[in-house]
Amino acid sequence: MFKLTIVTPERRLLVDQEVEEVTVPGFKGELNILPGHAPLITTLGIGVMKWRLKGQEKQNQAVISWGYCQVSPEGVNVLANIADLPEEIDLVATKEYLAKSEKHVLDEVITDADWVEFQKEWTRARAKIEVAENTVAAKK
Amino acid sequence: MASLKDIRAQIESTKNTQQITKAMKLVSAAKLRKAQNNIVNMRPYALTLRKVIADIAVTNKVTHPLMEKKEQVKNVLLVVITSDRGLCGAFNSNINKFTEAYYNENKSKLEKIDFLFIGRRGHDYFARRGIKPVDYITKLDKDISYELASKVANRVMNDYLEGAYDEVRIVHNEFQSAISQVVVAETILPIDLGKTTFNTEAETTSNFAVDMIFEPAPEQIIKELLEKHFDLQVYRCMSESVAGEHGARMSAMENATNNAKEMINKLTLTYNKLRQEKITTELIEIVSGAEALKG
Repeated sequence: MFKLTIVTPERRLLVDQEVEEVTVPGFKGELNILPGHAPLITTLGIGVMKWRLKGQEKQNQAVISWGYCQVSPEGVNVLANIADLPEEIDLVATKEYLAKSEKHVLDEVITDADWVEFQKEWTRARAKIEVAENTVAAKK
Repeated sequence: MASLKDIRAQIESTKNTQQITKAMKLVSAAKLRKAQNNIVNMRPYALTLRKVIADIAVTNKVTHPLMEKKEQVKNVLLVVITSDRGLCGAFNSNINKFTEAYYNENKSKLEKIDFLFIGRRGHDYFARRGIKPVDYITKLDKDISYELASKVANRVMNDYLEGAYDEVRIVHNEFQSAISQVVVAETILPIDLGKTTFNTEAETTSNFAVDMIFEPAPEQIIKELLEKHFDLQVYRCMSESVAGEHGARMSAMENATNNAKEMINKLTLTYNKLRQEKITTELIEIVSGAEALKG
């Protein structure tokens, strides 16, 4: 068991919450952190972050977009640029956005910068859909 | 001398104005609370980020172009943050005056001073003086978001790294309290590590494990963290400015409401005096008419 803190510039999601397990989208792929993990500093990509609170079976989820994660003996510190919680995700709108942007990229000539931007937004939208659908499935 | 009807109309219109200013004050108060929350919410993020940069920079002795000071400063970019709307006292004119003074003072010493305006008021003021900005951003009336701030920050940083500028300064109002905002000019690029109260090496290494695993390498992490730190600085300045704007508007509207109240009192007094006078005159006329009839 260790402590988890998640903050973004706009809000504090969790502060020193006791958790048993954390999964983050690390620089080199998904990273699972259990108690007693070696000290580590990594940057985070865009993807789904999961954590399980102490004594609970339920996996909490959120989409985070760029961030940084520090694992120390005391706990895990996550700084994320943007965090989307499942209840804040508009599934229909995200799907529409995804379809629209895919069409835009396929149909039009775009610059490299636009392509990079598209990749980021696309990954984020996919992660949002994944989280939203997982949450719906968990409720059923 | 104004007639009774005129004064009555004036009182009515002053009352209407007072209602508007009162409503605006309440709206600003609500927005101010939100903006203040924003600033408070940002603090944990800012503190952690700053601490980590310090830790990594000190233990691994890494540097980055964003941190290196240029020997000679020739080209400066001024980022000027104002509000989009007026009716907030001296909030915008303070900024504009300060910037203009800085410009006049330094334009002969430097090769180039460019402007980037955030907020319509600053842009309009300098547009009238024939200064063209490299870019300007308006529509701040909705809430400013971190995403918007990082877009601005990215643009500025790219220009800086390409060597277009040797220094980037930001002029904005710093929020001190609802009634006081102070104009601040800060150098945001190059990032000055001295100013951000960095720990000494001894302090740092004591709580910073030496066998820390870095993914990716420390240099890469520092680069990304510095970029985020810069984004955050821009976001912070914008948030401070927004909070200041609402604070300034709140107190300006409070004053306006009080002035309206005073004016209504004065007008009512004049109105009553006039009314009394009229009644007295009428009474005298009646009485003297009656006297005359008695003969």
